[in-house]
Amino acid sequence: MRKIRAKSVTGGVAEGEAIVSRTAISFTGGMDPDTGIIREPGHELEGRSVAGKILVFPTGKGSTTGSWQFYAAYKRGHAPRGIINVKAEGVVAVSAIITETPMVHDLEEDPFEFIEDGDFVRINANEGYIEIRNKDGL
Amino acid sequence: MKLTENQKQMLDGKEGRGARKAMEILAAYGECYEAERLITITSVHIAGNYPVLMEEGIEWLEDLASDGTRVRVFTTKNPEMYDFEQADELKVPAGLRSKQKRIHEALKSLGVALTYSCHHYLVGNVPRFGDHIAWASSGSQVFANSVIGARSNRDGDHVALAAAIVGAIPEWGLHLTQNRKGEILIDVGSLDFEDYDPCDYKALGWHLGKIAGTKIPVFVNLPNNLPIEAIKGLLYSLTVTGAMGLVHLVGTTPEASSVEQAFGQNPPSSPDIVVRQEDVDKSYTEISSCTEEKVDLVIFGCPQCSIQEVQEIAQLLGSNKLHAETQLWICTSRWVKTLCERMGLLEQLESSGARIVADVGAADGPHLYLKEQGIRVIAMNSARGCYYAHNLFGMDTCFGSTRACVQAAISGRWEGRH
Repeated sequence: MRKIRAKSVTGGVAEGEAIVSRTAISFTGGMDPDTGIIREPGHELEGRSVAGKILVFPTGKGSTTGSWQFYAAYKRGHAPRGIINVKAEGVVAVSAIITETPMVHDLEEDPFEFIEDGDFVRINANEGYIEIRNKDGL
Repeated sequence: MKLTENQKQMLDGKEGRGARKAMEILAAYGECYEAERLITITSVHIAGNYPVLMEEGIEWLEDLASDGTRVRVFTTKNPEMYDFEQADELKVPAGLRSKQKRIHEALKSLGVALTYSCHHYLVGNVPRFGDHIAWASSGSQVFANSVIGARSNRDGDHVALAAAIVGAIPEWGLHLTQNRKGEILIDVGSLDFEDYDPCDYKALGWHLGKIAGTKIPVFVNLPNNLPIEAIKGLLYSLTVTGAMGLVHLVGTTPEASSVEQAFGQNPPSSPDIVVRQEDVDKSYTEISSCTEEKVDLVIFGCPQCSIQEVQEIAQLLGSNKLHAETQLWICTSRWVKTLCERMGLLEQLESSGARIVADVGAADGPHLYLKEQGIRVIAMNSARGCYYAHNLFGMDTCFGSTRACVQAAISGRWEGRH
């Protein structure tokens, strides 16, 4: 397991399979709260579900109402289990805060260099680090 | 983050469950951005309506309001789904009415001013230069920073509401002078503004938002004395395709009397972006999604129409009647509608077949029930409205000037952008 330090946005521990987007995400209009599926036309995760995953993306964008849509997805069981951002935009940060979703940002290294889709990732937002085991078990 | 005695008490739950929840949100938010303290705010505006809140959001609001929690700062609210006084006439389904009623009651209990308007700065929610505020609603937030010189981050509704309850917000981002400097220089000097309609400023903003992203742009060579409709058009489009919180319009923005002031020091020696007319023209084809000419509905009011815009629409419509298969809606606030009634505009517009619909905006709420009523192709003079109507509700959109939209309402067909 590789361990990397990060800054905590919330507390808690979450682990699971990573889903990685190199482009920003808007929760309003961009993610279907009934399924957790990314629905923005042309988005690199279009058609894929983030539900129950560790969602890795650079930052948020779009409507400031996004925290309502994230909250609805969470209550319906379709939100990601944890969030890793390069830089926490305010709407994403408050989404994690109100749902107590473990979230970190500002990692010591570029997360896109070492996290791929399907890797096992554990977020420890209490102590400010993440651990990664890639698909080959390394 | 340093807290005052009163803020600590709120965090400990001594002022009720709602105040504790609000303080918990602000404490976590402040820690995330390494804010050193909370600063007093003078004004709050919140945005979300039923299509984004959904049932779970309503329950969250009801829970917040359940133990008598009240806002401490003047707080206004964005438009809702329908006009309470026209619900039967507009065939609003009972299910949607009960959802809106619950949001209404929760906000009333919290002490929010139930303005249902996105031009809240026309009804007394007017911050002054340098004021710290929390305005959710990305369009008016950038207006407050860029035209008034008040200071607001891109706060989501949960942060803005928490700040209204606590009366303060973490000091970070655009609340701090050092973070308000320009980051990219945009030269629009090659455009011929003589012939520009407000819709052209919207197309311009659409194009530049994509390039600027989250960076603070500095505009040079805009015409002097830009009318407010042009400024709003530009800013409200920039924040659809981009996510900046502040725009420096040199000569207009209070913190940008010159390029040097906008950048603080060392402005770039040459522009980062030079705009050409073909970029603006290309935006028109991106904003419009419709491929048909027949228009079901012409809808104005994203943001809600001012009295001057209603006057312009009424003048363009004159004594013409609408096409039998095309509706025309003017979305605005209750007070502008009252003014229209007093001035005879309501009677004139209704005799043409047009409606004035209060408490709603043209981008979102109404489309939930309009679509069920067979409305499919809509014409708008708002790039922002087109984006949300198409992406959230699947409407086909035609984008153009106020004149082109009124013409479409009379002929029933879309005939071009000007």
